[in-house]
Amino acid sequence: MSRHPPRASGYFRTSYAQDHALIQTRLEWLATAALAVALCGVPLIASPFLLDLATQVLLAIVGALALALLTGYAGQISLGHAGLLAAGAFTVGILFKEFNAPFWISLPAAAVTGAALGVVFGLPSLRLRGLYLAVSTLALHFVVVYLGGEYESKRGFSTGIMIDPPSLLGVSITSGRAWYLVMLGAAVVALLLAANILRSHTGRAWRAVHANETVAGALGINVAAAKLGAFVITSSMTAVAGGLFAYHRGFVSVEAFSLYLSIQYIAMIIIGGMGSLLGAVLGAIFVTLFPYAIEALVGMLPGSQRYAGSLFAVNYAAFGVVMILFLIFEPLGLVGIWRRLQSFFLLWPFKQRPVGGGRK
Amino acid sequence: MLKKAIIGTAIFTAAALPAAAQDAYVIGLTGALTGPPAGTYAPGVDAMRIYFDRLNKAGGVNGKQIKLVIQDDSAEPGKAAANAKKLVAQDNALLVINTSLSSTYAPVIGETKRAGVPLLFANAVCPKEVNPPAEPLQFCSTAFAATYDSRASLAFIKETAKEAVNLGLVAMAIPVSRGEIDFADTQTGALGFKTVAKEIIPPPTPDYAPFATKIKDAGANWVFSWAPWITQVRSVEALRRLGWTGDFVTWAHLEAESELVRLKDPKLFVVGANALFQDGLPIHKEIEAAAKEGGSQYPANQMAEGWIAAQVIEAALKSAGWPATPQKVADALASVKVDTKGLRGGPIEWTKENHFRTKQYYRVYRWDPTKNAIVVAKDWYSYDVK
Amino acid sequence: MQLIVNILVLAAIYALISCGYVLVYRVSRVLNLAHGELMMLGGYMLIVTAATISSNPIAAIAGALVLSLMVGGLVYVFLMRKMTGEMVLAAVLATVALGILLRGLVILFWSAQIQYPAQTLALSNPTLNLPGGASISFYSAMLIVATVVVYSTLFAFLRFGSWGIRMRAAGQSPLLAAQRGINLHGVYALAWGLSTLTGSLAGILIALDSGLSQTIVMIGLKAFPAALVGGLDSLVGALAGSLIVAAAEVLMIHYVDPLLADVVPFLVLIGMLVVRPWGLFGTREALDRV
Repeated sequence: MSRHPPRASGYFRTSYAQDHALIQTRLEWLATAALAVALCGVPLIASPFLLDLATQVLLAIVGALALALLTGYAGQISLGHAGLLAAGAFTVGILFKEFNAPFWISLPAAAVTGAALGVVFGLPSLRLRGLYLAVSTLALHFVVVYLGGEYESKRGFSTGIMIDPPSLLGVSITSGRAWYLVMLGAAVVALLLAANILRSHTGRAWRAVHANETVAGALGINVAAAKLGAFVITSSMTAVAGGLFAYHRGFVSVEAFSLYLSIQYIAMIIIGGMGSLLGAVLGAIFVTLFPYAIEALVGMLPGSQRYAGSLFAVNYAAFGVVMILFLIFEPLGLVGIWRRLQSFFLLWPFKQRPVGGGRK
Repeated sequence: MLKKAIIGTAIFTAAALPAAAQDAYVIGLTGALTGPPAGTYAPGVDAMRIYFDRLNKAGGVNGKQIKLVIQDDSAEPGKAAANAKKLVAQDNALLVINTSLSSTYAPVIGETKRAGVPLLFANAVCPKEVNPPAEPLQFCSTAFAATYDSRASLAFIKETAKEAVNLGLVAMAIPVSRGEIDFADTQTGALGFKTVAKEIIPPPTPDYAPFATKIKDAGANWVFSWAPWITQVRSVEALRRLGWTGDFVTWAHLEAESELVRLKDPKLFVVGANALFQDGLPIHKEIEAAAKEGGSQYPANQMAEGWIAAQVIEAALKSAGWPATPQKVADALASVKVDTKGLRGGPIEWTKENHFRTKQYYRVYRWDPTKNAIVVAKDWYSYDVK
Repeated sequence: MQLIVNILVLAAIYALISCGYVLVYRVSRVLNLAHGELMMLGGYMLIVTAATISSNPIAAIAGALVLSLMVGGLVYVFLMRKMTGEMVLAAVLATVALGILLRGLVILFWSAQIQYPAQTLALSNPTLNLPGGASISFYSAMLIVATVVVYSTLFAFLRFGSWGIRMRAAGQSPLLAAQRGINLHGVYALAWGLSTLTGSLAGILIALDSGLSQTIVMIGLKAFPAALVGGLDSLVGALAGSLIVAAAEVLMIHYVDPLLADVVPFLVLIGMLVVRPWGLFGTREALDRV
């Protein structure tokens, strides 16, 4: 949970402002700048397919961050993530079909829909906890998908709603590069939003509620408001991600938002590492790219075309196996590996942290 | 570390593939090879794979090999979108084939349209865009098609029924199936039928008896169903278990032939556009031999659909020549005329305006208990597609 | 009359499946989202035993059930045991991963085709006519019989059997149970085995009745609201919940709109969660955090 301090050698922060700063050292500034340059440079070198993958990853990061805030920090389990994505996508789709709304109306509208649904999804959380809460959000997922399906059938969009690409200043966003940049922007905004919420009063209230509701209440935190707030904010983020998905792929249909999608997002935050924004990002990268990686690996085996019929069953099964192995052998997630690596280099040649040292 | 390794491999394969693909006709395919509906789609994909393997061994088309790049979409639209993107952007496919649920159509159509690559629906329901006036880049070789199937089936009922028809309609709760059954419902009045029940059944249904009870209680003496096979067959089975003795008319999906043998129900009629393998035509023997040699998991009698699609593609590539571009392939497809050698009632013929077929042929089969075999209940009849 | 029969058959399907959810949850507090897949695997086990052990239906089914009991135990030993002490959500995700693995393996070994074990075993499925003009297929009747047998056996087992009492103890307080010398791992493995066994029985009967394919997994998921309405840790609850959900579903199909059949179980569930979150017969408990 704690961000690593500025230097391996000690804890030098002397004010809250320093403690809260997102970027704390010169090295971190350099790393951030390098990363920014690298990320902006990707479209220039990547093949269209890789660029598409990168775009998918960035979109997944937005959704995963929202879920990480809700589940990892505020401690509310949700199996309704796909339902919220669907709600955002359908808001965009319906506004486009019925009113031909441009994106600067429909995306905020998706956010509002998400926020409203967040209240609905969040209300059970005032009474329910743990698995029961998860299941009530699952129930809401089915309701959203049912409504979307009804709209599709009643309006005769039997193979899904087609959406024209959004246009900005008269130029429509169609190319892979443009979409990459749009999604990169969305992911950065989501990341900053999440990081800022977490270092504000709201985020601390969420963590307190997560740790112990009674104590949080005794500290003067309005527990109900904190829970509802968590649902509203994250649902709104998720719905916008759904709207972006609709624009990016140019279509909306209920089948794209199955329960399996919710499970994928949960897999992201768990495989990445619970209660960590970096974990959500790493998890989103891993879960999105993994099936393609498996496919590429299996495809490289000699004679793979001959077994083409069963190849995909192998991919499918391999995904299950790796997920299981991950859960068994790396319960802390990818972020756990990252932290171990970090400590290894920071502490080298020692193996253990000093007792009572400045680091927590 | 794992992550870096994976990205590394992804980059490696991405860099390696296009180079190898230069000297062949590259055909991309996205299909439902895993996931719940895979049983309907996977045999068709396997048939195409076997067909092209054989063709390649025999020297390919215009002296060039055909490279079929198969991608699995598990019937999920999101995956289909990524597949389509990969096929057009990385593999530089000349043609993309969609063999999946109709929910994957929108993203695949979007991607191929943007890239200007022709799209062929094979062994998957034909969207209405391929009917005249057709979208320039969309084609469909699949036997089943909206509206014509209902017309053919209802015409068969009209011709066969001896008394007044109280019709029950059955659909699965997926948009295509619902749309078609709604269409059938609009046609019944003109034919003098009375629609007494219209059941739309959600896909994961453990027990069909509640739906069947409703149809039976409504007094239906004929039932027409146009849905994925599982819904059709389980509806008729549930009705029979309730003691219903009416006639059931339904679409002859790939599974129909073995299922007619299994059910041995003389009042179950399957309307289809493909000749069943029990006809034993030379082409059927050929497919059986090829399936055996190709080592398929699926029975040969489910491969007609995939075979026809592959025949169409072969013909189109032949006339597109070498080197081919997506546009050339699209032009070739738009004027293709393929003799299906008896797999269908007539040739598949496409024009600039019509990417479905100029004439759609139907045949009706049923089980005959006296002969202990499948018999033709009504021989080829056709509709002009306008 | 037919309506009542339909409700009973559907309730039997739900009840037979949901007792698997309940057994595992009650003992180890883990929600098994791979139950649908394990149930499907039971059906495929029947195909295996029919082909290898015996074409005698009873022997084949018995063989398949023994195999699935073992599969359930192995799932615990090799997977779920490692997940003890992890977050609940991680354990649930592990079952999801198991489900994905099983689905892939099933396609790999048996392809995506619909299989008809009843045909392989040369079994027919006669219709039984009941008084009141109702009728029921033989295997649907068997489903009801199996549900009655399974539930009464389980009640007796948990009430009087020494392992049954151990299972209840482990469910109530793992710590105390362990201190009293109860072999927790043995108990958990047994719970998983039994849960897979009952699920497989449902899978086998459904497969005999209407064929076997991947779609059966979705049926497993549909039984889930039934278990929850009744209370996830109560067998009586699972029975009652199944009956309520099945009745709501069948009546909805018959009198309102068949399209709602998919949503109804979840609407019933939301209603129940608002009123009594822990279910009809569930124990009111402080549920753990994420």
